[in-house]
Formats: sequence, C-alpha cells, structure tokens
Amino acid sequence: MKKLPNIFYRKNRILLKELVRTDFKLRYQGSTLGYLWAVLKPMMMFAVLYVVFVNFLRIGGDIPHFAVYLLAGIVFWNFFVESTSQGMQAIVIRGDLLRKVNFPKYILVVSSTVSALINFAINLGVVIIFALLNGVVPTWTWLLVPLLILEMYALSLGLAFLFGAINVKFRDISSIWDVLVQAMFYAVPIIYPITMVAEMSGTVAKILLLNPIAQIIQDVRYCLITHEAVTVWSFVGNSFVRLIPIILVVTILMLASMYFRKKSKYFAEEV
Amino acid sequence: MSKEVALRANDLHKRFLLPKDKAAGLKMAILNRFKGIKGYTEQKVLKGISFEVYKGEFLGIIGRNGSGKSTLLKLLAGIYVPEKGSVEVNGTLVSFIELGVGFNPELTGRENVYLSGALLGFSNEEMEEMYEDIVDFAELEPFMAQKLKNYSSGMYVRLAFSIAIRAKGDILILDEVLAVGDAAFQEKCNQYFKSLKGSQTVILVTHNMAAVRNFCTRAMLIDGGEIAGIGKPEKIAEEYLELFKN
Repeated sequence: MKKLPNIFYRKNRILLKELVRTDFKLRYQGSTLGYLWAVLKPMMMFAVLYVVFVNFLRIGGDIPHFAVYLLAGIVFWNFFVESTSQGMQAIVIRGDLLRKVNFPKYILVVSSTVSALINFAINLGVVIIFALLNGVVPTWTWLLVPLLILEMYALSLGLAFLFGAINVKFRDISSIWDVLVQAMFYAVPIIYPITMVAEMSGTVAKILLLNPIAQIIQDVRYCLITHEAVTVWSFVGNSFVRLIPIILVVTILMLASMYFRKKSKYFAEEV
Repeated sequence: MSKEVALRANDLHKRFLLPKDKAAGLKMAILNRFKGIKGYTEQKVLKGISFEVYKGEFLGIIGRNGSGKSTLLKLLAGIYVPEKGSVEVNGTLVSFIELGVGFNPELTGRENVYLSGALLGFSNEEMEEMYEDIVDFAELEPFMAQKLKNYSSGMYVRLAFSIAIRAKGDILILDEVLAVGDAAFQEKCNQYFKSLKGSQTVILVTHNMAAVRNFCTRAMLIDGGEIAGIGKPEKIAEEYLELFKN
C-alpha cells in the first residue's frame, strides 16, 4: 500500500471522481445561465476574434473554413491555459487540506486538469457542430484527433505538475506564467495563418511549428478542418527534427512527474 | 486483550526549519548566502520517539503546548515525513487532525459525507455502508439534502464528529476531537467513547484529563519532544499536572 501512487488504484480513482464532481458542481454555482457558460464563453471569444481578424484585418482569406479553423485553435489553446493555470494552483489552494489529511497529492493536480478536460470536451463539441454547419466534410483523419488531444493533455498535465510543485515554495511562478501565456498566444499560429510567417521567413515558421502547442493545433486543423493547413510534418524536411515536439511533450511529462513526486512528500510542511 | 501490535513508532525524529524574518525576499536570501548566514533556525520538535500501540488499545497522548504531540500525530498519520525513524501500521488508519476538513459549504450534507469519505480513502460501497450510521449518530436525517452553509454550527460539528468516529478504520487517530454539541449530544459522545474500550484502536491527543482517565487504557506524556512517561492513565495524568506545579 505504501508503493507508488497509482491512478489505477481504486480508492484514488474514487477520490479523483469526487473531486472532479465537486469542482464541476461548484464551477457555475450561483450563475443564472449555469453550465451554458461552458459553451457560451468560447463562442463569445470566437465572435470577438472573428470580427477583429476576419472582418477588419482580413487575415486568412485563402484558408477554407477559416472561422472554424480559428475556433479550433482557440478551443485547444484555452484548454492549455485553463489546465496549466488551474493545475498550478491545485496544491496551493488546498493547503489547508494537505496539512490535515494524508492522501495522494497528485490527485489534486489530475482532478483540476480533468475538470479542464471536461470543459474542453464541451467546447470541442461546439467546434464540430460549427464545422459541419460550415460544410466541412468528415474524413478518416478525424480519427486522429483523439491522439492529438492525448498529446495536449500530456503536455498540460506535465506543466501542471511542474508548476504546481514549484508554486508551493515560489508563488511568483503564477505571475510569471500569466505573462508567458500572453506572449505565447502570439508566438503560436492561432489567430494568424502560419503561411504569413513563412512568407517572411521560412526558418522562423519552422521554429514556431516545433513548439508542441503549435504542432498540435496545426495538426488538429489539418485532421479536422482542411488538409491545406500547414503542419510540422509537411513543412519541416528533417524527419528527426519533426519529432522534436513529441519528444518535448514526453520529456516534460516524465521529468515533471518525477519532480512532483519527489517534492510532494513535503507539501504538507511547506504549503 | 490480545497483544497484537496495531502501530509501531521507531525512533521518530522531526525538525522544522523556521525561516527568520531577515530571510524574507530575494535580496536578503542572496545576501545571506554570500555571508554564509543561514536564513532559518532549526527547531527539533521530536527527538527519538518509540512506542507501540496494541490492537484494541485506547492510547491518550498528553503534554504541554508545543511539546510535539500534534507533530507526532501527523507523523503517525503520514502527513509529515520523519527526518529519521519510521512508522509501521498494521491495518488501515483513519486520522482526524481537525473536524470538518475538506467540507465545502456549497455542497449538501450528503455530498460532504461522501467527499470526506473519499479523502479518507474509503470506497463508495464502504461509504454507503457507513452512511446511515453516520447520519443516525449525528441525528441529521432531515437535513442531509441541505447545503452545508445552511447548517447551524452545532449541526456542522455533529456531522463532522460523526464521520470521524463512525469511520471504520482499524486505527483511529484523533486530535482533540471529543464531545461536541449540546449537553445531550456530549453525553452521547462520552458514552460512545466509553463503549470503544477494547474494541477499537484509538490514539487520542488531548488536554482533557477527565477524558484520559475515563476513556484511555494507556496514556503517554510527551515533554520537550521526548516521551516523559507511558503507562496507566491515572498515573500519567498526575505526572502531567505535576509539570505545571513548578
């Protein structure tokens, strides 16, 4: 029983389920529209960006279904931001609990990322409905999307473990991350097509695409919406370099969980 | 009473590094490092505690404020990691360092019972078995569908207390969790604790000498992070009171 904390261990799964359920119940507590906000929020953000970038700035005119293309990118990005920011706070906000009860700490981080994942699933449903309404024809590549979601989840969970553990001793990390996230939003081709960068400099475009988030978002767009979307697989020639995003995700998840496990013994004293 | 060991503490040591005021902030931290000043003071809270608790025993741990009782309890519960030494537990251990930990005011009484159960490591089936019993003991059947924020403080502690004492663990660890609520409910709690003698392994930290004399089968006095005495509750309670005479 004192061995590795194991997610497949039944009691841990029950605790995870209870925490996620509590979080979901409390999320829209007291709001009139309730769970509807989970769908309304990304749609409203999409509307703003659509008006600004498509109507006024006229970006992405040559990409088919650009509206859905944009929405898919935003929804994946939002999941990344939500899961890392909430995962980072998961340990700190439960500090009182950690000092009084002994339970596997990683469940707190996992539960906050799973909550974000549920929210994300709802949003993804919105994307698919929009895509079909927009005349996107489903192809076999739709079947690859779950793999990309898994990759995105692995990346977010890894960072949540890392920041969650650091945040116990060094609270500045949450402010630093807020700024970094803002900067990254523009470094990832979410609201602009990567071809715009490629026209100016092919090398910069390649480097941008090696960011796992960019790789995932472009792959999702390719698989789900249009095969005209530029992906790291088609744009970067070297077959080893192309694997960098995936290697990064696996490395981050592995190192971060090891770090978290090492630190989690002392959370009760330090938080 | 059988002499089977339920819990064994081997030479437990624990120290805390308490940061000094001067170490707050990045500038001072860097300066101190250059000057070779330690940014913290070391406080040894436990200096080698070893004891055994047998199955069915009701062990009372007493001692002055700051003697290390609560730290010891947290080590036993696995909340803290010892500097040196180890804790062996034979069976499942349920600890209540405080009542109502993890309670959420926005959830109903029923939901809170299940959430607490999950935090303590009980499965859903185990909780379903215990649920009726917990609610019965707390005398709160009509209120279980109400949100906790609408409970009176008496109702709140009764629910928390009932979870604590009705949780079916092999070893129950309690920190100052004694009679709560009004006179009638307190009497019920006292009766319950008395009835536990011999059937349930309990480790209780308390300042209440009446409780030690009435409920405990054995008591342990901690002073300055060491065991100052262990044995018959009456005798240890006397020793504890002696501490305050000089």
